[in-house]
Amino acid sequence: MIPTDAALLEQALTGAEDAFTALYRRRQGGVYRFALQMTGSTAIAEDVTQEAFLALLLHGTRYDEARGTVASFLYGIARNLVMRRLQRRPGGDVEITEECAGPEDLLEDLTRRESIEQVRQAVLSLPPVFREVVVLCDLQDSSYDEAAAALDCPVGTVRSRLSRGRAMLARKLRGVACAGRSIECPKSL
Amino acid sequence: MSEESVIAALRALADQDCGREAPEEVETLLLAAFRRRHAGKKLKVIALAGLAAAAGITMFFALPREHPQPVVRAATKQQPSTVAAAHAPEPTPVRAAGPKRQKPREIVTEFFPLMDVAPPFERGELLRVMVPASAMREVGLPVNEDRLGDRVYADVLVGQEGLARAIRFVSYR
Repeated sequence: MIPTDAALLEQALTGAEDAFTALYRRRQGGVYRFALQMTGSTAIAEDVTQEAFLALLLHGTRYDEARGTVASFLYGIARNLVMRRLQRRPGGDVEITEECAGPEDLLEDLTRRESIEQVRQAVLSLPPVFREVVVLCDLQDSSYDEAAAALDCPVGTVRSRLSRGRAMLARKLRGVACAGRSIECPKSL
Repeated sequence: MSEESVIAALRALADQDCGREAPEEVETLLLAAFRRRHAGKKLKVIALAGLAAAAGITMFFALPREHPQPVVRAATKQQPSTVAAAHAPEPTPVRAAGPKRQKPREIVTEFFPLMDVAPPFERGELLRVMVPASAMREVGLPVNEDRLGDRVYADVLVGQEGLARAIRFVSYR
């Protein structure tokens, strides 16, 4: 039987290295990708992953199963670490596209790596409160409940931020699409 | 662009990133930290008795040593004719009151927890003890190889149940 994250954490906190290793290997990818997709920096993602698991070692006793999963707890730690780094960054977030009308079929372009990178840049250009919900729910496949536990906010807030985040992305990606196809944007937009 | 297209675009990004993971060095560093932490804890359990003994020894030896000369002087003055006093060694003259010595400044580290899961803290005592410098290494502080045998001051926080909960190290400047 595969032990749950909570069981592994409990054992790890008593000094079981195997349990800690198993928990790390199971969850590090998600934490690393979350930090990477939030910051666009592999160096920060590595630091955040390391610090998040160190914090789990030091403060894992604060984990309360009733409040969410271990994964949510870890995402919550990683989110705080990411936010601290984003606040330290000079210049903040940079808008990378202008909004304009464009084709509806960007999806077909997504087969190209370049387009996927444009999606990444569009996600990175979202304000952090919308970005974190999009990253958790759409890129990390977290449920609304898990995201709410990680972000320490109500599920309704997650839903509304996700909806707004996606709408912002739609506008940004429309801009990317029309820029890529040299379509002139109507001046009225 | 519709919401479905956005979700599909994000799906494509998630698929591209799905294999990305933290490099192995991160795991190596974390496991080293894990071992350091738990090796330190094992040592702490064993060292607890030693610390308590060290505390007793330190207090036993430190207290009488602090003011030995005034005691001798007082005895000499009050009982000048006793044999004991006659054979008592001449006390070393106390240095004349000169410019007041500046009290050494105490510098302490943060407290390092010695227990992962500790019962609620109600009351406790802080014991000043001397421990080998190697104890600093056990909590992750850097110590030169050639100084591992040195003795350093430490404050041990002992809870109401008698267990050492945290330790900090002290130096004087």
